[in-house]
Amino acid sequence: MPFNAKSMKFNANINTVEIGTGDKAIKIGGENTFPFYTFDAPTVNAPKVGIEISDMGLANEPDCIKAVYAGCESVVDMAKKAVTFEGVDFLALKLEGGDPNGENKPTEELVELAKAVAEAVDAPLVIEGCKNVEKDAELLSKCAEALQGKNVLLMSSKEENYKSIGASAGLAYNQKVGAESSVDINLAKQLNVLLSQLGVNSQAVVMNVGSAAAGYGFEYVISTMDRIKAAALQQGDNTLQMPIITPVAGDAWGVKEASASEADVPEWGCVESRAIDMEVATAAAVLASASDAVILKHPVSVATISKMIKELA
Amino acid sequence: MYKVTFKFESGEDIIAFAALGENLLEVARKTNVAIDAPCSGNGSCGKCRVKVVSGELQSEKTRHISDEEYADGWRLSCVSTVKEDVEVMVPDIASAYRSRMKVADLSSPEEIKIFEQAKSDMLEAGIEFYNSFCVQTVNMDEPTLDDTMPDNERLARAVCEVGGYESAHLTFDVLLKLPDVLRENGFKVKCVVNEEAGRAVIYDVVGADEPCGAYGLAIDIGTTTVSALIADMMTGEIVAKASSGNGQIRFGADVINRIIESQKPGGKKKLQKAVIDETINPLIQQMCAKTKISRSQICRMCVAANTTMNHLLVGMNSDPIRMEPYIPAFFATDSVEARDLKININPRAKIVIAPNIGSYVGGDITAGTLASAIWSKPEFSLFIDLGTNGELVFGNSDFLMSCACSAGPAFEGGDISCGMRATDGAIEACTIDPVTMEPTFTVIGDEGQKPVGLCGSGIIDVIAELFRCRIINPKGIFVREGKRIRHDAYGMGSYVLAFREDAGSVKDVEITEVDIDNFIRAKGAIFSAINTMLNSVDFDISMIDRVYVAGGIGSGINMKNAVNIGMFPDIPLEMFTYIGNSSLSGAYAILLSDEAQEKVHEVGANMTYLELSTTPGYMDEFVASCFIPHTDAGLFPSVVQADEELCK
Repeated sequence: MPFNAKSMKFNANINTVEIGTGDKAIKIGGENTFPFYTFDAPTVNAPKVGIEISDMGLANEPDCIKAVYAGCESVVDMAKKAVTFEGVDFLALKLEGGDPNGENKPTEELVELAKAVAEAVDAPLVIEGCKNVEKDAELLSKCAEALQGKNVLLMSSKEENYKSIGASAGLAYNQKVGAESSVDINLAKQLNVLLSQLGVNSQAVVMNVGSAAAGYGFEYVISTMDRIKAAALQQGDNTLQMPIITPVAGDAWGVKEASASEADVPEWGCVESRAIDMEVATAAAVLASASDAVILKHPVSVATISKMIKELA
Repeated sequence: MYKVTFKFESGEDIIAFAALGENLLEVARKTNVAIDAPCSGNGSCGKCRVKVVSGELQSEKTRHISDEEYADGWRLSCVSTVKEDVEVMVPDIASAYRSRMKVADLSSPEEIKIFEQAKSDMLEAGIEFYNSFCVQTVNMDEPTLDDTMPDNERLARAVCEVGGYESAHLTFDVLLKLPDVLRENGFKVKCVVNEEAGRAVIYDVVGADEPCGAYGLAIDIGTTTVSALIADMMTGEIVAKASSGNGQIRFGADVINRIIESQKPGGKKKLQKAVIDETINPLIQQMCAKTKISRSQICRMCVAANTTMNHLLVGMNSDPIRMEPYIPAFFATDSVEARDLKININPRAKIVIAPNIGSYVGGDITAGTLASAIWSKPEFSLFIDLGTNGELVFGNSDFLMSCACSAGPAFEGGDISCGMRATDGAIEACTIDPVTMEPTFTVIGDEGQKPVGLCGSGIIDVIAELFRCRIINPKGIFVREGKRIRHDAYGMGSYVLAFREDAGSVKDVEITEVDIDNFIRAKGAIFSAINTMLNSVDFDISMIDRVYVAGGIGSGINMKNAVNIGMFPDIPLEMFTYIGNSSLSGAYAILLSDEAQEKVHEVGANMTYLELSTTPGYMDEFVASCFIPHTDAGLFPSVVQADEELCK
């Protein structure tokens, strides 16, 4: 008897969310199979890769990143350069300087910067907040207003501030809303329910379900993403059918494998390649667990992951 | 040393002396001033407030005390230390748990119905209500120079003759008073007799004209509340019933805090004293005073309590209960008599303790399961005891599963800023107008009783209504604004049920986001335990035939609202039955029926105990349940439907 492969595509789909405008706009999500299961159904939208820069410029960056952006005099210059790297689908601007426990830059200054970056590049834009829930509520709402018409993704609303960010980004200014929870399928789902009860169209929501660097409690991350995808596709749970975006850079570059200097641990080898390895390993793993987009820092990581996606998707 | 004077709204001042920097709550405990501290004095519950009348305390400001209240002299005693001579007023709320001791009115038809129902359920299940206690009238010949038999042999022989026993044994107290009683009454007496191991044991002897009966004491020792009753051993009639707060409350609201407190030097004695001398003995005294029953005629006692309460009652080391691998000192024991614990009944009375079946499923549950009679029926029943610990039993005549989850004291009003037990002044039911957001509520007590706080059933109603009117979101956060909705300096929202001027207390009656969050956790613990236990035996919610709800939450519990907030499974309402304090009904049955006593041991031995903390997936279930009604709305179709109809 001949072998007939059974296709395991599901009746449910992940929502397709478009970010950006014009030719460069990207679509994430849309799939009805497990990640890279091209033998079940053709890929709808291949996972997307973003590159991350910060409003702090190169102040807090390691030497290898300073080298990447050598010659750039401003954040806007960095943005222009970043989008030219091979494999970059979108640009992520992280407004970490807004943190009241850090630089505490005023909202207006950061919003101006976001506007300038948006003007300077035509790649789709993701705005990341400073992680302080009160400040983000104000900062991301103002960004949503200032960037009207650019169709940006604002990351992220959390349980504590979903009302203001959801209302401004999702309802008033027609942007895309990030929904961030911390590595728990139920918390992810609860936030999606809250957003939809607020009136935010679930087709405008992208989840960040939380992450970690590979090897750092990472099995929880993988299990959460796997189960979310399974619930969305197998059980057709429409409160979990939002695509997943995972910011990898922050976690991967923060661990000692990526940051310990060569002087401290000579046996570990070159710090730049270690950092790239951490970033690539983490990104590859979250993509294999059904993330629809990742945010990376190093152009080599971006190119590597982009190549991996091309070959698998 | 400084002088600390505790003043009360009613009652005499108590004066204590304290060193500089001594904690006020500690000073109060040492001098036996009852200040309720459910959180064991870590400043998180805000219940231990006192008012400084003169002098001053070194006291931190907490979110439980507003600026105005602070200026008025209100302080939390647990965060206050002594720095000079001071006079403090202990408000009624803080000492309420003791002063609210009440001897229940037995004319209440619901109360009687619950016991009658339990009794008839058990009779139906084939349990005979029989014990061998009786009162014998004994007429003896007076001794003469020719008839020189000593008093004790004379009585024993006469009792054997009347009752047809082989031999008779006199307890020490009977022996002691025998010469006087016999001679004062011309050798015509009445005896309280029980047949034990083939011989008669004489518990009490009184003159033939004096009132005499054989009575028993059934008692349910809850972590928060203690309820007791005295029953006639021969007729089964309940002659008195009483309840009060557990005197151990001031040493912590939950069993873990109590165990920790008992490990301190002198702790075991202190906790035993708090439950026996300050709680059980006063209850017995009140009931005896009311009914004129002599304590020496209370000849058997039955205790239904959780494992920790049992251990603390007996006065033994309970630390192993809380430490892995969680082994109690006993499941069942017949070693205890009233005199061992200095309980003020007949000193030789046997104390029957309903068997524990695990560290966190105790005799209250085996007794409750016995009373619910679910072990005798073919249908699948779920038994839920809503106490400080939520305990569940699921099964039928073929199998029984049990598990416990930590619900916290929320169902009895603990850990809720305006929470209280279901006594006078408690809001027990509430509805809210979806447009104006104005509440309508019923308050326990006489006509005109002003609201003081919320009891468990009231909290369920308020949260269900706030959710139905979309005033709170499924996480319990306020999403509408209005005159009754406030936010404090820290941004925390609250809903005012009764403003200060309409309330019977010193402050507004309100429910805060923190309260709602505490309650959501409690209800989440219950529902996730139900779901996890059913899943572990491959059942689902639709297979439940009956649900029995027990506990001190109050008969006012609105099952529909409890389903609406996702506390109970969404099955037809007629399947729910409130069976009151089943632990006490069970204790009552064990007291009166030797067969029930055997049965409860059998039920306990046959129950499978599921340890939730080691069950994979319980945590996931719990997080999913901490949402109104549930993260998986599909589990609550009727709630979703009602919500959609409201939207239209």
